[in-house]
Amino acid sequence: GGEGEEGGAQQPTVFRVAFNQNAEHPQAQALTELSDALEERTDGAYALELYTDETLGDQAATIEQVQAGTIDFAMVAGSLLENFESDMSVVNLPYLYESPEHQMSVLNDEAIVGDLYDALLEDGIDVMAAYHGGVRNVYSSVGPVETPADLAGQKIRVIGSDTNVRMMELMGGVGTPMAQGEVYTAIQSGVLDGAENNPLIYSSLSHAEIAGFYSRTEHLMMPDYLIAAPSVMEGMDEETTAIFEELLAASVDTELERFAAAVEESVAAAEEAGAQFSDADVEAFREAVLPLHEERVTTERTQTIYDAIEAARG
Amino acid sequence: MATRKLMTTARAWLDGTLRAICVVLFAVLVLLVAWQVFTRLVLGEPSAWSEEAARYAFVWVSLIGIAIAVGEKADVIMDFLVERLPRSLQRVADIIAYLATLAFVLYVMVLGGLQQSMLAWAQKNPLLPLSQGQLYLVLPISGVLLSIYLLIHIVGTFSSRYVGHVGTPDEDLEAAAL
Amino acid sequence: MIDPGTITAILVGGLVLLLAIGAPVSISIALPSALCMLLIVDFDRGAITSAQQMLGGANSFALLAIPFFVLAGVIMNNGGIAERLVNLGRVLVGRTPAPLAQTNILANAIFGTVSGSAVASAAAVGSTMAPMQKKAGYDPAFSAAVNVASAPAGMLIPPSNTLIVYSLAAGGTSVGALFLAGYVPGILWALACAVVVFVYARRHPDLKGESFPGMAVFLTTLWRAVPSLGLIVVAIGGIVAGFFTPTEGSAIAVLYALGLSFVYRTISVKDLPRILYDACRTSAIVIFLIAVSTIMSYVMTYARLPQLIAESLFGWTDSKVVVLLIMMLVLLVIGIPLDPTPAILIFTPIFLPIAVSYGIDPVHFGIMMVFNLSIAVISPPSAPVLFVGAQVAKARLEPVIVKLVPFLIVLIVMLFVIVFVPQLSLWLPGVMGLL
Ligand code: NA
Ligand code: NA
Repeated sequence: GGEGEEGGAQQPTVFRVAFNQNAEHPQAQALTELSDALEERTDGAYALELYTDETLGDQAATIEQVQAGTIDFAMVAGSLLENFESDMSVVNLPYLYESPEHQMSVLNDEAIVGDLYDALLEDGIDVMAAYHGGVRNVYSSVGPVETPADLAGQKIRVIGSDTNVRMMELMGGVGTPMAQGEVYTAIQSGVLDGAENNPLIYSSLSHAEIAGFYSRTEHLMMPDYLIAAPSVMEGMDEETTAIFEELLAASVDTELERFAAAVEESVAAAEEAGAQFSDADVEAFREAVLPLHEERVTTERTQTIYDAIEAARG
Repeated sequence: MATRKLMTTARAWLDGTLRAICVVLFAVLVLLVAWQVFTRLVLGEPSAWSEEAARYAFVWVSLIGIAIAVGEKADVIMDFLVERLPRSLQRVADIIAYLATLAFVLYVMVLGGLQQSMLAWAQKNPLLPLSQGQLYLVLPISGVLLSIYLLIHIVGTFSSRYVGHVGTPDEDLEAAAL
Repeated sequence: MIDPGTITAILVGGLVLLLAIGAPVSISIALPSALCMLLIVDFDRGAITSAQQMLGGANSFALLAIPFFVLAGVIMNNGGIAERLVNLGRVLVGRTPAPLAQTNILANAIFGTVSGSAVASAAAVGSTMAPMQKKAGYDPAFSAAVNVASAPAGMLIPPSNTLIVYSLAAGGTSVGALFLAGYVPGILWALACAVVVFVYARRHPDLKGESFPGMAVFLTTLWRAVPSLGLIVVAIGGIVAGFFTPTEGSAIAVLYALGLSFVYRTISVKDLPRILYDACRTSAIVIFLIAVSTIMSYVMTYARLPQLIAESLFGWTDSKVVVLLIMMLVLLVIGIPLDPTPAILIFTPIFLPIAVSYGIDPVHFGIMMVFNLSIAVISPPSAPVLFVGAQVAKARLEPVIVKLVPFLIVLIVMLFVIVFVPQLSLWLPGVMGLL
């Protein structure tokens, strides 16, 4: 739990929140605002303290710290929760959402995903909210990518999982898992031809300098989750819980707006560093990747969620 | 005498087994990384699991390696102060140092490692057919091995053959390392 | 939770006390850190989180280069590959004083152009060169010190893992600019070491150079060294040409050296277990140290120590020079127990905004941080590069430290030159239009 639980009413409860990027990131900004509002609405009884820049360990490590109760909250990538509940993979499929708004509306809809998130409770993980984590696109040092044929033979760094390797195969390229810290040098020397990520990461990792062709394939929209130790909410009175949940819902919306603004800034910064942004034939890629949906939606629960997400398209 | 002989045999068996494990794991490690390059350059189908497997083989070989290193008293110490003490105080300093090491090993590696392993027992590894908890088991295993060696060393400081800290000439060190 | 003052006292006091009674360096860092964990969370969580941080600290693909390069070095020595290379080096730079020591520095600088890890460099170059130097009459402690002192040049000469980490922590400072900015300071690092060796050699006339043995000997030596040079072509060439990453290149180097040794029949299959075990033990000691230092960095982060240090240190002065001096001193001290990666992740977000407010370029600041922390990886007591360097040279730690002192002094002086002459860092990226 947070510090000061034993103290009197004067001592505020400060929750520790682990975050893997810097304090300027839209999610960090949204959480800081959430903390300010929470402090104000509870007369200073509750606040959040952010530990940014991965200083408490990588995201996988911070999940385990939440489980152990060493920290209270962590913002983590959706793919990592698949290791605890394999059905979580259904919401991380490529070409599943038509827009960030579509994504946020279904992933924060209790009726659609409530059952899925509850399954994580027995692992000691309480999903508080899903946040938009950007739209991932392909970038390359070779040239613009318009169709799957353009990716032929290109080694593109992907997240280390069979699903992501398979996705890149269907998209026409060669999915190559690699630790993020090695990617810059690997693209520079030619071990890799490119990678795939959202414009924020693309710009902040300086990958625009070595892989200047950023093509809007829009293949993945992987959510990030704010997770908590179950004891955190159990220790909160009803009134505060209501305030907290209201503020969480609002912060999901602010984060989405801030993310859009941050994408614009990142695109400008990357262009300044020499990047060329171009559109890709999204429909062609989507069709190429659709077989993956059938391969991975295999259980009754994932089928129900998949259908609900499809039904919520505008 | 029979007990001492038994102890010596047991110790030799433990050393030999651990060395063999390290050698095999290390060889596997080299082959895993070579395999990774091979699948990417020659087969054109980069393997997804080899990096993950290499990292865990590396963690295992390092943590089992440190147990034997401590067993052979090869861990890095700076004993230029202790060297100047009389033999009896050297013995006290050694015992405190071993107990300090044992305290850390038991608290963090055995207790903490075991709890962490249990906590992650059901957590799947995305690429390997083992759970995270199983991969984490190396910490308590290394902790138990370290504890055994530390107890042997502590007993050794009470032995009549305890020589304490004397400046080791480089030649001895080289001979000991081979 | 206990207060930051107590935590600092436990960490520093515990370290000093345990080192003094001859406890392992790793435990002198680990035990006080675990005790702090216990006090700031609770008994069970302290244990479990310390355990987790330890594993996380070791679980890194980039660290794999360490055992591989140690192994490649051991094989090259046993297989006679190293000897042929060093003989060639002697013929080429034989006339300078202490030629083998200078060759060692040059080898570390060249190695730095493919590897971003000082430990890997010290392992690969040191295990190749130390036995040669011993044979030629060099004091093993001195040759180890030369190798240790010059190995971090590769952390500044691109590519550099450490500069990439800084770029991330600094919120996306151009990696390209940082890489270019690292060249001059990296070369200056190597030159500083060369100067110290030069001065040392003048006092040790027995290490004077040899005259050029003539064209015939040169050609024979070159011919004999061709297969050995193949190792450099395959490993370094493969990395530069983009066939594999530096970490993968280290494994390829192992296989090449092994294959060549089998051809030379200098190593047989039954020698392999001993060679593998030798390399395994050396790297295990270093990895364990890196793993436990992660617990300390977690404790410091969790207790917000760096922020408190910053608040208490910078409040009273407005002078840019004083602020920079304080920052550099804090980093030199903090680098004693911490690895550069956590030190950069923890301190960049705190120091960089202050530095920028004084008009310091983030690229320049990154170079001074990495230069500073490169000194830390060779300064005792906690110094992975120093341990590897001493291990591969089969030298005791204390005499190596003594021989290392002049290098440390010159490098610290060089650090302040880098800090107060921004052009040394910013000129090259400026010329290339990256600023
Ligand atoms: Na380098
Ligand atoms: Na140090």
